Amino acid sequence: MGERIFFAIAAFGAIASAVTVITVRNPFRAAVALIVALLSIAVVFLLQRAPFVAMIQVIVYAGAIVVLFLFVIAYLGDHPPTLGPDPLARYQVLAWLAIIGLGIEGFLALANSHLPGIDANPYEVSDIGSPTAIGNAFISTFSVAFEATSLVLLVAAIGAVLLARRAVLGERGR
Amino acid sequence: MIETLAWIVLGLPLAGALLLSLWPGEPARPLTRIVGLGTIVLGFIGSAVMFAELLSRGASNRHVVSTLWEWANVDGLRINLSILVDPLSMMMMLIITGVGSLIVLYSTEYMNHDRDYRRFFAEMNFFIFAMLLLVLAANFFFLVVGWALVGLASYLLIGYYYEKPSAVAAAKKAFVINVIGDVGLVLGALLIAKTFGTLDYGQVFAAAPARLGHGSFTAEMICLLLFVGCAAKSAQIPLHTWLPDAMEGPTPVSALIHAETMVTAGVYLIVRCNVLFQLAPYASDTVAVVGAATLLVGASIATVQEDIKRVLAWSTVSQIGYMVMAAGLGLYSEAMFHLLMHAFFKALLFLAAGVVIHALAGEQGLNRMGGLHRHLKFASISMLIGCLAISGIPPFSGFFSKDDILSHAMAAGPVGVVVGTAGVIGAGLTGFYMFRMFFRAFTGPEPDGGYEHRPHMSGWAMAVPVGILGVLATVGGFIQVPGGWSWVNTWLSPSLPAAPDIAPSATLQWITTLVSLAVALSGIAVAYWLFAAGPARRLAYADTLRGLRGVLLDQWRFDDIYESAIIEPGRELGDAAVRTAEPRFTQGLVTAATGVTMVTARGLHRMQTGLVRTYAFAVVAGAAVVGLIVVLAR
Amino acid sequence: MTPTLISHHTTTGVPLSWYLALSGVLFLLGLLGVLTRRNPLLLLLAVELMLNSANIALVGFSRYWNVSDGQIFALVVMVVAAAEVVIGLGLIVAVYRQRLALDVDALSRLKG
Repeated sequence: MGERIFFAIAAFGAIASAVTVITVRNPFRAAVALIVALLSIAVVFLLQRAPFVAMIQVIVYAGAIVVLFLFVIAYLGDHPPTLGPDPLARYQVLAWLAIIGLGIEGFLALANSHLPGIDANPYEVSDIGSPTAIGNAFISTFSVAFEATSLVLLVAAIGAVLLARRAVLGERGR
Repeated sequence: MIETLAWIVLGLPLAGALLLSLWPGEPARPLTRIVGLGTIVLGFIGSAVMFAELLSRGASNRHVVSTLWEWANVDGLRINLSILVDPLSMMMMLIITGVGSLIVLYSTEYMNHDRDYRRFFAEMNFFIFAMLLLVLAANFFFLVVGWALVGLASYLLIGYYYEKPSAVAAAKKAFVINVIGDVGLVLGALLIAKTFGTLDYGQVFAAAPARLGHGSFTAEMICLLLFVGCAAKSAQIPLHTWLPDAMEGPTPVSALIHAETMVTAGVYLIVRCNVLFQLAPYASDTVAVVGAATLLVGASIATVQEDIKRVLAWSTVSQIGYMVMAAGLGLYSEAMFHLLMHAFFKALLFLAAGVVIHALAGEQGLNRMGGLHRHLKFASISMLIGCLAISGIPPFSGFFSKDDILSHAMAAGPVGVVVGTAGVIGAGLTGFYMFRMFFRAFTGPEPDGGYEHRPHMSGWAMAVPVGILGVLATVGGFIQVPGGWSWVNTWLSPSLPAAPDIAPSATLQWITTLVSLAVALSGIAVAYWLFAAGPARRLAYADTLRGLRGVLLDQWRFDDIYESAIIEPGRELGDAAVRTAEPRFTQGLVTAATGVTMVTARGLHRMQTGLVRTYAFAVVAGAAVVGLIVVLAR
Repeated sequence: MTPTLISHHTTTGVPLSWYLALSGVLFLLGLLGVLTRRNPLLLLLAVELMLNSANIALVGFSRYWNVSDGQIFALVVMVVAAAEVVIGLGLIVAVYRQRLALDVDALSRLKG
């Protein structure tokens, strides 16, 4: 029972902040709303017996990624960028339609799913979310994924350095 | 042994042609000569050996068929790659390789100034191969193949001087008219295939009397269709207009192809299909009449020609008319005898004319010639022999063969008498126009201004063939003397099972002989009177007979009729099509295709907006559709 | 793979379908943001939202099947998201330095 209450609170928080993220003009406010959303989702992770993932969510996602966002927002200045009129304003309806359509489809898929026990109360689980379990899994079964992701990070780092360098050159060139 | 030899003789010229044409760069002249001439000389030696071998066998054992493999088997129709060596094809082989070697030897010197030396010999080799295939084929299929290849070779060789527009036009004309003949020939072959279920000579000729029945419609149609092919290839009316134009080719080409091999292919075909033609009396009569008409038309036009080669060209048309006429009357071996004699003296005439042309540095007009006997004695005597032979003066070769035809024709029924009379008249004309040519070129005064360079005699390579042919033209006729022996008839009889037994009585023979001889001599006398005795007389008479001369010079207006009835409407149709149909249909289709592509492309181009959001939307929309399908599928 | 039992009685917990529903809603909201926003920075924030919704689903299924696989996948997703944000922000900064407008509609030179 308690789980469901916590879930309701977290879900509400997530959805509300998500709406804020996609609505407000001010980037700073959007970033802060995203932090709230991320924290709510961390709660959800905890409810799903994934403590390690929740921790990483808070540390990495809310703690590093969104902070990066805030860095850039600060660098760009706080002024809302002046944008001209939206050339695709007429087509917004289409976007809404598509999304509503997807939503309906998703609902139908969920409702007609034959996955056993999808609506039932869940069983208790073994230790799958602790750091030990995750660590074991990474080193044994998913070692390739582990190495691959480190490669991705390497590439991203190199890319970032290059982007920064080019920008500098571009400026000097003028 | 005969079989192997036959294939070798057939294959050598093909190998020679391939070797010469695929040789990288320009091979050295001596090599070209060796290859080009060698293949044909070896072919002649091989043919001679085969001939000796056949002679040693009995008369009933001279029919040899050799098959390499089954070429095609379509719906029960079997076609084999096979050749037939029998008296008829043996005779043709000897002519083709024998006279062919002499002419190719001649051309090693005649063509020496030409820069495309190798091309000439490659094409000549190819022609010899094609012609051999034509006569050696053992079924109608390979006959048609050889027929078509010979047409191609003729086109290539007529258009040898391809930088001359007139030569190119002549080559095209020859090819187009040949194709008309090919259509007839192929239709005839198809009709044979349909009627007999086979194209093999042996099977067709054996089954013909039973399957076709004398005078049946099918038999007549087959023979008429085959004759269309013959008429085109052998330059009979009305498909004869290409031959005089074909003189644009080099003189050796005119000698070989357009005097005694290719143009005799039609005669060969009729003789080969004697069984069929004997079952089709109307067709045979048509053949005889066409031959006679051609004989007269050709001879009449030859009387006014100013170019030495054109005289000879029209005389070829006329002489083949004799052969065709004889074949139409059922006088098959007489026609072949004349074919053989004609091969000798016509080649002699052309090659001697070539000596003259060579000596005069390319001049071919009769009014720029005169009194050449002083300078070119050898050529003059050779020409004289040729003229005597063709006019049928004994003891030269033409006398025996032409006489054979005429006397037998008179004994071949009413049609025979009519066409035979035409043949006698033709003999007179022949004497007249041949000696007109001779007197104008070799006797009398030299042309105004004399000759630029002193005409000089050619080398041995040109003289030897002329000499050999001169001898053959003189004594060749003695292989078949009426009242004495008839080696040609005896030799050919196994190949001519259906030849009717037409034997003129001795009286009839003597009368015909004397009458035709008298007519020929009077023709020569008139020529002498007009051209040799008083050279200026001809101009006076030319003026009086201006109307007749006009018609003859226009070649009986055949070309004009074709031009106005066929070519002009064709051109108009083409122009009309270009004006109306093309913009709408072909151009319209193309424009429509491109238009559709452009419209589609433009439409799709609008997808490339460059805006991230539209792309994202496209992804979403696509996902929505796919999801819809998945959901509905459940 | 049926869910392996640890204990035979079920707790009053949150069924999987609820998690999936939450994931779906958040995903659609993120999608709406992607389609609507013109500022690339805000667009990236919406993308982060979508990624997180996927993570919820992944972890939910991981619990359902009682394995760690889903959580591992979610962690990998986070790493990739981090890398992507780094590059994305680098691009935005570069665009800003070139004094171009920070408008995805204006940054449209790659078109046909």
